[in-house]
Amino acid sequence: MSEIQSVGNSEKGGKKRAKKQSTRVDMTPLVDLAFLLLTFFVLTSTFSQPKVLRMIFPEKLDPKNKDIKQPEVKDGLTILLSDNDKIFWYRGALNAKTVLEETDYTKKGLRKVLVENNLPLLTQLRAFEKELNKIDVKDTASRSAIDIKVKEAQRDSKLVVLLKNDDKATYRNVIDVMDEFMITQIAKYFAVDEGMSGLEKKLITQKIKI
Amino acid sequence: MPKVSMPRSTPSLDMTPMVDLAFLLVTFFMLTASFRSPEPVFVDPPTSTTDVQIPKQVFLVTVDETGKVFIDLTNPAVKELVLKDMMKEFKVSMDSQNVKKFSGAGPMGLSMQDIPRFLALEVSKREKIQQGGIPYDTVNIKKSQLYLWAYNARLRAHDDFTQRKFLAKERGLPFDKENYIQFAIKADGRTKYDVLKHVIQVFREAKVKNFQMITGLESKPID
Repeated sequence: MSEIQSVGNSEKGGKKRAKKQSTRVDMTPLVDLAFLLLTFFVLTSTFSQPKVLRMIFPEKLDPKNKDIKQPEVKDGLTILLSDNDKIFWYRGALNAKTVLEETDYTKKGLRKVLVENNLPLLTQLRAFEKELNKIDVKDTASRSAIDIKVKEAQRDSKLVVLLKNDDKATYRNVIDVMDEFMITQIAKYFAVDEGMSGLEKKLITQKIKI
Repeated sequence: MPKVSMPRSTPSLDMTPMVDLAFLLVTFFMLTASFRSPEPVFVDPPTSTTDVQIPKQVFLVTVDETGKVFIDLTNPAVKELVLKDMMKEFKVSMDSQNVKKFSGAGPMGLSMQDIPRFLALEVSKREKIQQGGIPYDTVNIKKSQLYLWAYNARLRAHDDFTQRKFLAKERGLPFDKENYIQFAIKADGRTKYDVLKHVIQVFREAKVKNFQMITGLESKPID
């Protein structure tokens, strides 16, 4: 550690001289303080800004207009969220014969279901990605050509996924499912905020009882 | 052989470079650190794999676990204007100092009617008080305070945007078009979805169709 050197007694001589003092300063406390502050700021600073998930909802429709029906999909998936982290899904249009399948939020649950259903688009996208890797980074023209192809493939994707929930589901459930959509690169998905239809609710209660 | 005598010296070390470095780092972290504005509620948002950054200007609606709604605007100038609009609407008076304070105070979840009572309290007590959340009504949406907040914020922010655009054009400065107000929802993972549904309904009524859900970061799965 640095220390302050004491200067010997200089009063022996007749002349009074200014004391020759060392210019060394004990910096230990300074270092202590600096590192204390450093630790504080390192720990408190937030590096990762929160991320956002974009959602688009249609404009509010006039409730008096009786022509508006619940959206239906003929060839698609409907995912129903319920309380206690339960997910049910069915394919195609809803009718009395519809059979609900239950799944969960794990990799082998919902993701598998979505990947299986989205396989045509996924294989297409995989192929595009391979093509893209072959192309030189500087070749922007062919890169953007592939980008357009990707967009077209997404637009032509037949799979439509609807997400409905019966108000008992939590926000985490909804975000998790949306995230799953993004992971499995589903091109068309909608969150239906009108909730479930009566039949769907009935089917769920039946399913839970079994 | 003679003994090797170690040179006797105090184990002193020149610490100047270390101090230099330490203070350099301190300065860096001090300047880059953005302190979180005090939040009246603790919210633990769910995580997702998206990597979209949070927009610069947001009208943030925070929903806590119990379904209380708090609002915040990142631009304090706009927030002040919106607050004044709201005061006019609900006939609440407040001096300009308090208006400034409110607009800089981060998320707030007070009903307009409660504001005078809140202001009557001592400053130290204000932080401790449980804010009840902005009231929202699902039947009479257009009269609910949350709707009015969202609606006024959208108008004021749009005015602000066009004004900044005009000023930038006049002075020949570059203008960031991305810097437009976005509506964002930050909710606790355990919040029941029906509360959020109501908030979304209010937004849609205020002609906000496009909004952001704030999530934490999660690493992308490798398939």
